[in-house]
Amino acid sequence: MSNDATVKPSILSREFNAPKKLVFETWTQPEHLQHWMFPQKGFTCEYVRADIRVGGSAHHKMISPDGREMWQLTTYEEINPYDSLVFRQYNSNEAGEILAMPHMPNWPQELMTTVKLEEVDGKTHLELIWQPINPSSKEVEAFESSRSQHSNGWGSGFKQLAAYLKTL
Amino acid sequence: MARTPTTSDPFSAIAEPKRRELIEAMVGKELTVSELVDITGWNQPMVSKHLNVLKQVELVSERKDGRFRVYSVNAEPLKPIQDWVIQFEHLWTNRMENLEGYLEKLQSTEVID
Repeated sequence: MSNDATVKPSILSREFNAPKKLVFETWTQPEHLQHWMFPQKGFTCEYVRADIRVGGSAHHKMISPDGREMWQLTTYEEINPYDSLVFRQYNSNEAGEILAMPHMPNWPQELMTTVKLEEVDGKTHLELIWQPINPSSKEVEAFESSRSQHSNGWGSGFKQLAAYLKTL
Repeated sequence: MARTPTTSDPFSAIAEPKRRELIEAMVGKELTVSELVDITGWNQPMVSKHLNVLKQVELVSERKDGRFRVYSVNAEPLKPIQDWVIQFEHLWTNRMENLEGYLEKLQSTEVID
């Protein structure tokens, strides 16, 4: 890739005690996705539309424990059973329109997520790669900043501030 | 080390570890530059340089107290960023945990079936 503003992807790895085929299905079938594609425990999740194929998209609703509704739109670019898939995910509304990050005007508009699966001895190693697409230099800056937050952890060396922010 | 980039928003400003350290030292206090020099152990130009960046993005306020200028943290602009960073940090990690639990449940059900 040769772009003016290149940025290294963020990578997250995880191992699941399940065969690759099953893990792949949990990423590509709405009846599975609704059991886990939400930000944290206590949420409920419903796929109102799921056309999960290359060029297709899915629209899902997440409801927080206090009843707040959030929507996301996912568009699918590559689906290679049972090895990998590539998609983009956006904040959305009920109508399926893409919304900007309210507090983060410079957050990359386009983030591509790649999921790679590899099975070893009945366990599946998953690698998730987050990569901004054609980011502006401002977007690179925002993404890099978040990465430094990520690796240091907001909490480390920032305890006083974190405690203080809670009181605001 | 790369040189400190000039920066125009709070989020980028606090990406620099030294500025995080400075903010951390100032939370809930009003401090002069020389007090900050003592606390951090950095030289005065370095303290002033980072302080200026934080002032520009309004994360630090300046007040005149007699002959001295005292500085304090205005953390309000960081609040939404912190909320957001926490979300970012936890988003995929949490989803992976959801998925792990779900896969376990799924497979134990399959055995029973």
